[in-house]
Amino acid sequence: MFSEQAAATAQGLLAPPSAEPPTFPRVAVSGYSDCSQPFQLGERSFARQYAHIYAVRLAGMRPGLERRARSRWGNDVVLRRLSELQEGEKCCVVGTLFKSMQLQPSILQEISEEHNLVPQPPLPKYIQPSDELILEDELQRIKLEGAIDVQRLVTGTIVAVYGCEQDNGRFLVEDHCFADLPPPLPWSGPSSDRYVLLASGLGLGSVSGEALLSTQLLVDVVTGQLGAEGEQSCAAHITRVILAGNLLSQNTQSRDTINKAKYLTKKTQAASVEAVKMLDEILLQLCTSVPVDVMPGEFDPTNYTLPQQPLHRCMLPLASAYATLRLVTNPYQASLDGVRFLGTSGQNISDIFKYSSMDDYLEILEWTLLVGHISPTAPDTLGCYPFYKSDPFILTECPHVYFCGNAPHFQSKLLQGKEGQRVLLLTVPDFSATQTACLVNLHDLSCQPITFSSFGADSEDGDMELEH
Amino acid sequence: MADELYLENIDEFVTDHNRVVTYKWLSYTLGVHVNQAKQMLYDYVERKRKENSGAQLHVTYLVAGNLLQNGHFCHKVAVVREDKLEAMKSKLSTIASVHVYSIQKALLKDSSPLYNTDYDIVKTNLQHCSKFSAIRCAAAVPRTPPDAPQVPEPVQSPQRQRDPDAAINGHRVRAAKPPPQQHKGIMGMFAAKAAARPQDTPKEAKAEAKEAAGVSAANCKPPTKNTIMNNFFGKAAMNKLKANSVPEQPKEEKEVVKPSVAVAESESSPNTVAEKPGKKTESDRIQQKDKKSKTKRVDRSDDEEERDPENVKKKRKRIKQLLSDSSDEEDVPPSPTPEEERVPSPPPEPALKTELEPASTEVSAGGRKRKRKRVLKSRMFIDEEEGCMVTEKVYESESCTDSEDEFPKTKAPAPQEQAMLPTKREPKEERKNPKKGAAPASRANKQVSIMGFCQKK
Repeated sequence: MFSEQAAATAQGLLAPPSAEPPTFPRVAVSGYSDCSQPFQLGERSFARQYAHIYAVRLAGMRPGLERRARSRWGNDVVLRRLSELQEGEKCCVVGTLFKSMQLQPSILQEISEEHNLVPQPPLPKYIQPSDELILEDELQRIKLEGAIDVQRLVTGTIVAVYGCEQDNGRFLVEDHCFADLPPPLPWSGPSSDRYVLLASGLGLGSVSGEALLSTQLLVDVVTGQLGAEGEQSCAAHITRVILAGNLLSQNTQSRDTINKAKYLTKKTQAASVEAVKMLDEILLQLCTSVPVDVMPGEFDPTNYTLPQQPLHRCMLPLASAYATLRLVTNPYQASLDGVRFLGTSGQNISDIFKYSSMDDYLEILEWTLLVGHISPTAPDTLGCYPFYKSDPFILTECPHVYFCGNAPHFQSKLLQGKEGQRVLLLTVPDFSATQTACLVNLHDLSCQPITFSSFGADSEDGDMELEH
Repeated sequence: MADELYLENIDEFVTDHNRVVTYKWLSYTLGVHVNQAKQMLYDYVERKRKENSGAQLHVTYLVAGNLLQNGHFCHKVAVVREDKLEAMKSKLSTIASVHVYSIQKALLKDSSPLYNTDYDIVKTNLQHCSKFSAIRCAAAVPRTPPDAPQVPEPVQSPQRQRDPDAAINGHRVRAAKPPPQQHKGIMGMFAAKAAARPQDTPKEAKAEAKEAAGVSAANCKPPTKNTIMNNFFGKAAMNKLKANSVPEQPKEEKEVVKPSVAVAESESSPNTVAEKPGKKTESDRIQQKDKKSKTKRVDRSDDEEERDPENVKKKRKRIKQLLSDSSDEEDVPPSPTPEEERVPSPPPEPALKTELEPASTEVSAGGRKRKRKRVLKSRMFIDEEEGCMVTEKVYESESCTDSEDEFPKTKAPAPQEQAMLPTKREPKEERKNPKKGAAPASRANKQVSIMGFCQKK
């Protein structure tokens, strides 16, 4: 992307100083609107039970699913509630899936005294062949068997199943369908090349400092300090930087106060304090040059439950003086230059990864889009705010760019939908591990990874193997 | 000739100072555009090598371009040593840019010196970090004051120098104020005081007076937090707290704004409200006693005793009662540890030094003094209106001589050494001092407090 345009003047700076070097004005943001209002929580009350969120989720998605069922199995398909089921009758039922897993961590079991259990260590995946799927609607539940992939699906998905109830009380599934891609948004992207840089997992405050120079190189490329003139002029077309979570490293999460004796920890400072200062300086450098959207992630100092609220700007005093800094929620939805972005910091995808047989982050990302819900496993295994009026994670419109942060590698795919949807699916890799960020071209929804490397104490040939 | 000057400069940096000269460092140091800096470095390398082919010069380059990886093209940006330059160039299918990244005398094993050099130079130039960059962003302007929260915050502006584009001086002070104020709101008194104290002397009296007035009228949140903390820690721990500045404010101001609130004010309107020079020197003395900004009620009460007659003290007590009532329900603020981690920026250092010199003489001349301590006592009185007996816990001043005075004496030589020490050592020494102060204090009072266990450390 950059390289072709910049190639002409690549070696231009290998010369004695010339006349006044050019400065390029940054391409102005023509249209920006923040659409994350559903994810912003005002007054929060945790007095409600989580059953309401499932109820509104089902109520919100039922019409769409019924429409989908009719179009798939014919207009005359019988739609039944579970309470109206008759044995042997072929019908379609819309409900919420629940997967009962033996290995699913249960806090009640852990603290139960009669079991005397040692808390289960975290596993990469909690699936087992003995897992079962159960369909629930507003009043009843029924076990499912048949043409439905138990391992792949997760709790909280709204599904329409077609089949019949058997005499053993289970529902034999012949076919099933999901909400499928939401209706498309009109396209009004820019007419010339405009880039958005997406990075996640900066991982500041970690013990190792290898990624620090790469982070500095990233900032330098975006702010136009690095590179020859051609590259700098291309970098001037970067209209926005989105930092998708995990700005702080997992190391800053150590809670010595819990484990160690008080007299040992009294004068120590939380590791996140230093890391946030570093973050502030990096953001200041970026903010003086480009608009930045900062999303919180799993290890960032904000609330744990989804939707995560923006970082408070008192933590970033230097950078928040600039209007170019925007502290946004996770998940984040915004319209940049007519292109609708929707993405998360990756907690939803990694949670589905743990409870499903799907291994590929891009596959899971696509699956959430097809299911019509950003994070079906919330609130079952992923912390979530107890919504009761409406579920903001239901996808009502199809975004143009759908991303998730903190993925193990960079992957991207342009998905075309039946109704004319065109979505760029993007898994933004963890920068502290891969030193890779993503550049998305808003003009044609193409994207390219951008990798940074420096030379380390070990051989330089290792650089190439860094990015798998 | 200007052209030759930069060559000499680079030569000096590389060979004489043995520096790692990166393009960014050179750009900030010489005040030139980054591209010019890169070209200067290249020019220097070429000339030096032409003159003396055996020159002890190692160069790192930045290479960027397209790289075919896993079936897709990725844009790679890499810093490579000179010996690996050609290898990297050959790996890339298209080269987008090549330029000199840095020059140094020694062969670098890894890139951390490069990172450190860049980090240091950016850190010292944070307010105009995009000045020499090749891209200018018109949208990157500081937020206008109405956007920032409307909380007056007089301090921390030297530390938080923002964009020099905010040309008007008053404007700049304004712009700097609100962001530190948010800091204050969250961290409460700790943030405000730590910053306030270093900013004392550099500030103008006028500016401070304005801000002091503003602060006195401002929210009581940090001050009430302060009271909570004092309540929580008790008398013994309060002695541990270091005074930022003595309550120099006139006592009227204090009475108007509740005395415990004065903690925040006293530091926000420190010796710059130079109404009473006597107070100033005393503040210096006390200030010198405890480096960091924690309030010491003892000192405040001390001053009051010296200056105010009994009736005024009584008035204050009543106000204090009301305050301690309201503040009982609030949460205990975080422990004072974050305070000590903060490193005062260079400007406070010389200020501190100047303060220390006059103050030290005072301390040695001071000798033992009777101190008034704040003691939590139960007071019972009959409320005529409601016809009931009311038992309240109030802080009452009690005089006692304690070995706390050892504290200022040991402090007097110590801070002077401290001022010369590098900034990093300061937090450690300051941490030691409160412990010194706490131990004798607790012994003297013989009052068991919950924090006594921790103070033994």
